[in-house]
Amino acid sequence: MKDDTMLAKWLNNELDAKELEAFMSTPEFATYNKIKEYSAQLTAPEADMDALYARISANKNKPAQKVRTLNPWISRIAAMLVIALGATYFLYINKTTTQLAENGQRTEFLLPDNSSVTLNAGSEADYKTWNWKNNRKLQLDGEAYFKAAKGKTFDVVTAMGKVTVVGTQFNVKARDNRFDVTCFEGKVRVTSNGKAVLLTPGKSITFENGKMQTSEDKKTQPGWLTYEVVYSNEKLTSVINEIERQYSVDVELTVQHPEKLSAFTGYIPMNNLNNALESITTAYNLKSQKTGNKIILSVE
Amino acid sequence: MAFSKKKEYRAIGIPYFFCRFAGVIINFYNLHPLLQAKMKQNSLKGICEEIIYSNFFKSHAKALRNYLFYKYGNEEQAEDVTQEAFIKLWENCASVPLEKAKSFLYTVANNTTLNQIAHQKVVLEYTKKNPVSGTDKQSPEFLMEEDQFKVKLQKAIANLTEAQRTAFLLHRIDGKKYHEIAEILGISVKAVEKRLHGALNELRKEIDNIR
Repeated sequence: MKDDTMLAKWLNNELDAKELEAFMSTPEFATYNKIKEYSAQLTAPEADMDALYARISANKNKPAQKVRTLNPWISRIAAMLVIALGATYFLYINKTTTQLAENGQRTEFLLPDNSSVTLNAGSEADYKTWNWKNNRKLQLDGEAYFKAAKGKTFDVVTAMGKVTVVGTQFNVKARDNRFDVTCFEGKVRVTSNGKAVLLTPGKSITFENGKMQTSEDKKTQPGWLTYEVVYSNEKLTSVINEIERQYSVDVELTVQHPEKLSAFTGYIPMNNLNNALESITTAYNLKSQKTGNKIILSVE
Repeated sequence: MAFSKKKEYRAIGIPYFFCRFAGVIINFYNLHPLLQAKMKQNSLKGICEEIIYSNFFKSHAKALRNYLFYKYGNEEQAEDVTQEAFIKLWENCASVPLEKAKSFLYTVANNTTLNQIAHQKVVLEYTKKNPVSGTDKQSPEFLMEEDQFKVKLQKAIANLTEAQRTAFLLHRIDGKKYHEIAEILGISVKAVEKRLHGALNELRKEIDNIR
């Protein structure tokens, strides 16, 4: 360790007597001593510090040159304009259009590229019109039938999964933890919970509670459009919820353990309340009582 | 039936971005030179006061300039960088307290990248007054040998690396203590010692023709 600072310590008179004696007896000592002696006689070249200070004074007292006097009002107005423009642009880009279908209603609307969407009762769709052609993305809560125009990918995003198509006709139902997609024309790619499936016309897929089930659907459009809904293995409570939405009524199922009832497979008309209720009561041995808008289903 | 609740998030997003835009604009305005000038007027303490500034110059300018000369080997460049550093000090006088001024000065000087003239050999002269050390006993041959040695020493110093040279000359010519040199160069005292040791070693090797 001492080997790379010893000379510096000597130069500073920090060596003890013993170290000093040892150093002085080395042959190089003479040269080092002369270096020490003569280097102390060196000087830096003379400098005219007064002239330097004068130059500095002259330069530092010219603030007017460096400061651009800009009318403060111009800056303020410009700033306000920028903020206003920025905010407006931001709002414009993020403007989301919402389409609703209330209970007992359905809503049909066109997207900016003339794709058509029909919302079933009790459903909502949200999308941004800005840059639609390049970003065709729609958020769906409920059920809708899509006729997507050909173009860039068309995405329907639901809480349970995503559907991606390129110009086709398909139905998406996303309700109560159950995600159903049916393809009527073209090709449909469905992703849910990390699983991806490609549907061709006539094929349908159901995701529920982590389980996936495929089925066939020979029709050319979803049943609900013509008020005839076909169910396969659907929870009774889901069927009843749909009846509530279609007919805009309130149905109460007074049964001890509704989840223990078997799933419903069959056909429910959505334009005749009495027939609809009869389908349920017959299948499950219930009786129905109607008072105004409220219906009570109970065990027979 | 519950519909989508996502609309609430938009209510947070818009004001947030609005405020960020506003913040950027306001920041721009604060750095406006007019505002800086006002700040300077308001703090007539410390370096901003002409008298204090000029006293500071008298105490530190020469040392700085010498150091820069040892570094660049060029008088004009040393003076230019000294001037630049002092002007920067003046421009920032409102935000540099007196105790930090020296450190500020050397930091600016060390970081300057003015059109650097390619490194030039440092040429130093000996003072006219030679310390008397029994001159009577010196023969002409002795004196000639000493002169040769002194010339060799000048050349050898010019061949040192910038790091070793600056540390060495700050000690030998300006008589700076090791901790002062450490402060000027921005290194530790230990590093100063290593540089000096290395410098002496190199000088000896070159003078004694051992390579």
